[in-house]
Amino acid sequence: MTLLVLFVGLLLLIALGIPIAVALGIVALVAMLASGGVAMLPNAGLVLFDGATSFPLIAIPLFILAGAIMNATGISRRLIAFASALVGFIRGGLSMVGISASLFFAEISGSAVADVAALGSILIPAMKKRGYRTPFAAAVMSSSATLAVIIPPSIPMILYGVMAEASVVELFVAGIVPGVLGGLLLMFVAWLYARRHDFPVEGRFELRRVWTTAREAGWALLLPAIILGGIFSGWVTATEGAGLAVVASLVVGGLIYRELDLAHLREAMLEGGVQTAVVMLLVATSALLGDYLTEQRLPQQVAAGIMGLTESKWLILALLNVFFLVIGLFLHSAAAIILVVPIVMPLVRAAGIDPVHFGLIVTLNLGIGQQTPPVASVLVTACSVAKADIWEVSKVNLRFVAVLVAVLLLVTYVPAIPLALVNVFYH
Amino acid sequence: MVKTGVRRFLEGAVLALLAALAIVVVVGVGFRKAGAALVWYDEVASILLAWLTYYGAALAALRRAHIGVPTLTQRLTGRARTAVVLVAESAIIAFFAAVAWAGWQVVRVLEGTTLVSLPSVPAALAQSVIPIGAVLFILAQLLSLKDALSPGDASSPEDAHSEERVPAGEGEP
Repeated sequence: MTLLVLFVGLLLLIALGIPIAVALGIVALVAMLASGGVAMLPNAGLVLFDGATSFPLIAIPLFILAGAIMNATGISRRLIAFASALVGFIRGGLSMVGISASLFFAEISGSAVADVAALGSILIPAMKKRGYRTPFAAAVMSSSATLAVIIPPSIPMILYGVMAEASVVELFVAGIVPGVLGGLLLMFVAWLYARRHDFPVEGRFELRRVWTTAREAGWALLLPAIILGGIFSGWVTATEGAGLAVVASLVVGGLIYRELDLAHLREAMLEGGVQTAVVMLLVATSALLGDYLTEQRLPQQVAAGIMGLTESKWLILALLNVFFLVIGLFLHSAAAIILVVPIVMPLVRAAGIDPVHFGLIVTLNLGIGQQTPPVASVLVTACSVAKADIWEVSKVNLRFVAVLVAVLLLVTYVPAIPLALVNVFYH
Repeated sequence: MVKTGVRRFLEGAVLALLAALAIVVVVGVGFRKAGAALVWYDEVASILLAWLTYYGAALAALRRAHIGVPTLTQRLTGRARTAVVLVAESAIIAFFAAVAWAGWQVVRVLEGTTLVSLPSVPAALAQSVIPIGAVLFILAQLLSLKDALSPGDASSPEDAHSEERVPAGEGEP
């Protein structure tokens, strides 16, 4: 009963336009006051502080910062030049360049919105100029940026790892194969579309051009490999690796490339700081509500309820997939992870689903949610960069979303695709 | 005027905290790899994250960038809209007022104690971010009230700098 009141109260506050983080806090505070009186209030101060102090989550602002620095050093331009030499000769060359550059860029930045803003603002106008349909240009950049969130480093994965108490490093490794596979599938679908609409190619394939652009982009390609190598081998933790990524990007941008744009960096740092705070405030206030929900044993009740209906791991995975797809339509992915993951984890564990496997499913699922209105942060960013209508872009984007759903199904029902690499290295 | 001042202060705090966080983590790794691990590194880094959270949250409030579902309120017009916005704003302000009070009680209780790993730093200093952050949040909320009441023309000159910023979750067609 109390839970129902809480839930209705939460929805009501959110409908009033109150930010989700604050709505969570209000509901939790009212529940605390109702059960323990004003004497409980100072506890809220402690929980809100402790909830925001998490060592593993420090990786989030640091990866955002590293991405911001690298992006202020002309790295996007270099990656695009390299990708262009590599795949530009294929029909619809610029879209191939967009997809592959997104995958490279994803190794530096952990955020799909940053990805589409950085690469889309260069490639979407370029595609328009070469006669590509605008909705296609926006759709291809939007969907490839979303795919990039499962390629390490990934902010949703860091959040999931902390919320589900799963290894962030293993999550990162699990994302590699599905990420590359998805990239190839997206390129194939883009190629089919490009062939039908006779989009141009970007010059012939020349090994010499690949070599010169690779040398230009060398550091940009090498650094993430070294940093991720350090994390994967256990030499540093994910948070420490993120710290090293910041130093490395400063050294490369400031000392080697010598083109750090400070004004741009400042804006990007502020944007990153705000993004971090928005997510962290959710983490902190949900800790306030989480304490209460744990007392009420809600997660255990959910687990027992579903396990009473079915014990089939595959059926439960299907249920969870539908559930997260629906949630992804309406909630920002960080909010969805923070709110839902702690509640479903007991069920996931009871059903014998590997938490790392499930983490990849959640990340992809919510990534798809970023492509589907009404709440679709990545799609909206791509559309605003392209100055295109969301509805027109969504129609073209359907085929790419279908690819993402196909990858999701493969990841869900062929666990070896995400987990084989993890098992080779860590088990 | 006041808004510009508060914005500059919060932006400065966010930049400084983000930079400090990166420096502490990097120095911490360096010392650990050199075989002389710093005992205070995780604790201080975690506290810096909490500070970044609340100073950043106030800046996000000023920019109206917190994640929410504005669909319903956006459909409203005229008086109904003003009424709903004022109710929501009051609830938010009441919440942070309670948090400010709660945080202040914690700071008072902790007087005299210090951080576990760094005995020269009072624990109350670390915890001060809750009452201060809550008050800053209220201030930011009040200063950006105009944008909430009329989001259609959110292009007041003061916000011009944030033109290119990416919608953080409030993506609406």
